[in-house]
Amino acid sequence: MIRYLIRRLNLFLATSLILFIVMFIAVSKFPVDRIAALTGVQQPTAQQITRITQDYRLNDGQISQFIAYLQQRLDGDLGLSSTSQNLILDELTAVLPASFELGFFAGLIAVLFGIPLGVLASLSTNKITQHSIMAITLTGYSIPVFWLGLTLSLWFGVQLGWLPISGQINLLYEIDSVTGFLLIDTLLSDSKYALSAFLDALQHIILPAVTLAVLPFTVVVRITRSAMMTIMEETYIKAAEARGLHTSTIVMRHALPNAFIPVLKNLGLMLGAFASYAMVVEVIFSWPGVGAWLVSGIYQRDYTVIQGGILSVALLIIFLSILIEIMHTALNPISRKELYAAN
Amino acid sequence: MKDLIKRLTFGSTLGCTIVLLLSACGPTRVPSGLVYCSEGNPESFNPQLVTSGTTVDATSQQLYDGLLDYDAKFGELIPSLATSWDISDDEKVYTFHLRQGVQFHHSDSFSPTRNFNADDVLFSFNRIIDSTHPYHDVSKTGYPFFQSIGFTDLIGKIEKVSDYQVAFHLNRKDASFLSNLATGFAVILSKEYADQLTKMNEQAQIDRLAIGTGPFRLIQYVKNDYIRYYRNKNYWRLTPEVEQVVFDITPKSTTRLAKLITGDCNISALPKAGELPVVIDKETLEVDSIPGFNVAFWALNTERIPLNDVRVRRALAHAIDKENILRAVYQKTAVEAVGMLPPLSWAYSSNTSITQYDPAKARRLLAEAGVTDLTIDIWAIPVARIYNPNAHKTAELIQADLANIGVKVNIITYDWSVFNQKLSKHSYDSVLIGWNADNSDPDNFFTPILSCASVESNSNRSRWCDPAFDAILESAKSTTDKLKRSAFYQQAEQQIAQQVPLIPFAHATRLVVKNKNVTQSKLTPFGGISFTNTTQAATTAIDERGIQ
Repeated sequence: MIRYLIRRLNLFLATSLILFIVMFIAVSKFPVDRIAALTGVQQPTAQQITRITQDYRLNDGQISQFIAYLQQRLDGDLGLSSTSQNLILDELTAVLPASFELGFFAGLIAVLFGIPLGVLASLSTNKITQHSIMAITLTGYSIPVFWLGLTLSLWFGVQLGWLPISGQINLLYEIDSVTGFLLIDTLLSDSKYALSAFLDALQHIILPAVTLAVLPFTVVVRITRSAMMTIMEETYIKAAEARGLHTSTIVMRHALPNAFIPVLKNLGLMLGAFASYAMVVEVIFSWPGVGAWLVSGIYQRDYTVIQGGILSVALLIIFLSILIEIMHTALNPISRKELYAAN
Repeated sequence: MKDLIKRLTFGSTLGCTIVLLLSACGPTRVPSGLVYCSEGNPESFNPQLVTSGTTVDATSQQLYDGLLDYDAKFGELIPSLATSWDISDDEKVYTFHLRQGVQFHHSDSFSPTRNFNADDVLFSFNRIIDSTHPYHDVSKTGYPFFQSIGFTDLIGKIEKVSDYQVAFHLNRKDASFLSNLATGFAVILSKEYADQLTKMNEQAQIDRLAIGTGPFRLIQYVKNDYIRYYRNKNYWRLTPEVEQVVFDITPKSTTRLAKLITGDCNISALPKAGELPVVIDKETLEVDSIPGFNVAFWALNTERIPLNDVRVRRALAHAIDKENILRAVYQKTAVEAVGMLPPLSWAYSSNTSITQYDPAKARRLLAEAGVTDLTIDIWAIPVARIYNPNAHKTAELIQADLANIGVKVNIITYDWSVFNQKLSKHSYDSVLIGWNADNSDPDNFFTPILSCASVESNSNRSRWCDPAFDAILESAKSTTDKLKRSAFYQQAEQQIAQQVPLIPFAHATRLVVKNKNVTQSKLTPFGGISFTNTTQAATTAIDERGIQ
């Protein structure tokens, strides 16, 4: 097992290294001054130029420069935003929690609603139920997220006036940032409006989270259904049935845990698409997360923001994919067996 | 389609349930305050440093006061931090008597120990005119408004007569001097605060963590997100009604409208003309409008070939169908511009010669100039402005008009901050931009945007410098007789119509859309919006969002 973990760690490091190499090459291609592209300092003084040249070893060869670049980035020095002149790291830590919050809620909705529906689709003998569930998920899977987001905000926000469609909270609530996660912060706040603020924040997250949840939801339903159908044909399920176990017990105890394994694997595969969907959703709903930040950075030709955004999102996806793969292996007896055989 | 409906019904049931659950938890309470959906980030918190309307909106009327104010209703100057002023017989010395007992804002880092006095006035203006002043170079962008009106040359010296008396000694007569002091750019900063920052070696903070005497004080600014102000309890005029004002920075016009509808903001800036029917349809919303003191124009960079040829510029002026622009972009919310001055101005005259829409003549002029296969770039300002809610659409219409006379057009646009930076490097052929007056003086439509001094300060987007034109403006300023001045400004208009450094096409109505329970937000025809007397009728009205 330890050897397996080390191998995964190696995979993580190797992929990240490639990412850094790509970024390093991209930086040299940016149509701005190299110092500005690396650090975001707009009009550097002579002193700053000497320091930056030293830090990034700009007078050395490419390889030495790359090592210096890597050192700076790994030290957490992502430079300054060229438009706001704030540290990229600070801006990043300010926007990341909002994205996590949105992603977590969307994932929660997808799993909470997707798995029961998938099980229902697999167990139902009624053709109409089966087909309609599958048709719905296929439709959901093929609807472009930007259209869905706009349609939902048009209906629930503009026409019905039920839900807010932009931002994270009504700005009149003044919430101190403790954890960075707004929903937690509103509850921690000692303002007399804390509960109202929490409810307001909850209302604000509904539409973006639902929009973002549609894609993983449909995938979860479809994978759960197909996994359940295969599993329900297995001999051990038949044996359990023969012993007279109740269907719900069979599903909950024997079938579902096994069906969850392919679902997890597919969620892992979907991370990249999920992240790009999240960016689109953030822009549509003006959600102050890393996606909206990155997109505005692109519009403003803020090269350090673009680098910081791409690095953080890509590293996060690499890390999470590998984490999900490890979880998948840990949960899945078959791949565990393969692991031992390989060693 | 059936499946789609099913899926959406499912979605709506889900939505309803959650909303019902939420509203069942008890009515949500919202803190007292106003949210204003503004169109962009301010570039600074000191309006002395900028000319952009967005920054003036976020600072001048909220954080600061000037020596004088302009009363839009009666069209006259009224006292602000100066209670009265005397003008010497030769009209070259202006003595201001200052208001006593005015306090500067308190903030986390600054507690004033003394009230506003003459030192603050001296500091605020010397910073601009004296290039050896320790704070002069703290501004990286200079003082564009003051440079464009030649303020430094105008002021001989500023003298402190007593603690509450200040005299401005002018080098020459200037009829627009008082009007310029009443603009949102001429604000009063705190010298005590500056001294404290000097000690801490944090000079640049003076333009970021602003301290003024205005009705609101700055609490927090998060770029791309919001600006939060609390009311200034010690304000020398009536204390503002609302406890806090938040500027919700929302660059997209449709998002601003959506936020207004869902109640996330109470007032929203700069609606596009096409969005107004939606607002009128909603029972809870209304449109506030006031004829604007502005002009939208297409500035031609007269330093570029072939735009340096007046025949080419004239050809372009004849090729544009202004009426079409008014119809498509402004949809009845603007009047056609015959010159720079809007109909509201006292120097306006409707019989200024109009450049007719005449593509045939345009083609002839181009042929005369020997220009063939002309391709020009039009830079379209990327944000909505009072004078032009949709520059990109305007550019598209011009593109079509110019295609008629065989001129190709590339439309170029960047995000606002990049646009602004690139614009100041003057590498453009032409730019669709405009001017929103800061005061009612007609001079404001000429000197800051077309004088030679304004070429230096980059506010002359045409990069056009004509000494004869400057001379007309000088003569207009040297007299206070309105009739004489009117005649001079008509002459200036003629000069512009002949030389075509820019092509004015519209004077837009100033619009905000707001929730009906918000009363008395004071719009002025010039830049700036004031919330000092604004109240919100019943805060419960917006709380019922979930049930409506």
